[in-house]
Amino acid sequence: MTTSYELEKAIIKRVLITMTVLILLAFFTSQNPKTWILGYVFGGLIGILNFLHLGKTLERAVTMNPGKAQGYASSRYMLRYLTTAVVIAISLKADYLNGLATIIGLLLVKFSIFSIHLFDSKEYYKRIFKRREDNK
Amino acid sequence: MNGVDLIKACSAIGAGLAMIAGIGPGIGQGYAAGKGAEGVGRQPEAQGDIVRTMLLGAAVAETTGIYGLIVALILLFANPFF
Repeated sequence: MTTSYELEKAIIKRVLITMTVLILLAFFTSQNPKTWILGYVFGGLIGILNFLHLGKTLERAVTMNPGKAQGYASSRYMLRYLTTAVVIAISLKADYLNGLATIIGLLLVKFSIFSIHLFDSKEYYKRIFKRREDNK
Repeated sequence: MNGVDLIKACSAIGAGLAMIAGIGPGIGQGYAAGKGAEGVGRQPEAQGDIVRTMLLGAAVAETTGIYGLIVALILLFANPFF
């Protein structure tokens, strides 16, 4: 079992749940739900694959020497960036995919990270309107 | 050269400028990975914590690059002005 396996599993689970909710919403809110659903699925799955690739890259990078790790992580980032560029270009060109849905799907991993690690805490909401000076 | 051609030319220049946003996360991620490798070398038992923290940070940092990419590709393929 990998070191970050549990974290990846939790985030992917949240992404899949959010994707399902968005797909169900698309049935009721859109005139043409098929393009939205395909967009969410396409973007969401590529986003998950990119995230898993990032995890594998970092696990391998920390075992290298620092100089080599830097080049390795940057080159792998460019590979993921190229993949994302191809996905967005296809979704904007193709008629059967909704571009906005694909972009939302690609960013679902980030929204899930924010929702799990920031917005899940009640303390975060309590601190929003509190001035730092008042705590002293 | 008419107005539409000028808009197309300016959109292409804008798309090129927007793509600069993709370089920053790449440099940052590489730097973080290098420092992570240094940390693991210094304290090997903390490898799990280092990778987990770096994974979350790197995933969120990539978002800004994707925003730039989206702007560039919309200017090229789905430009609302022509």
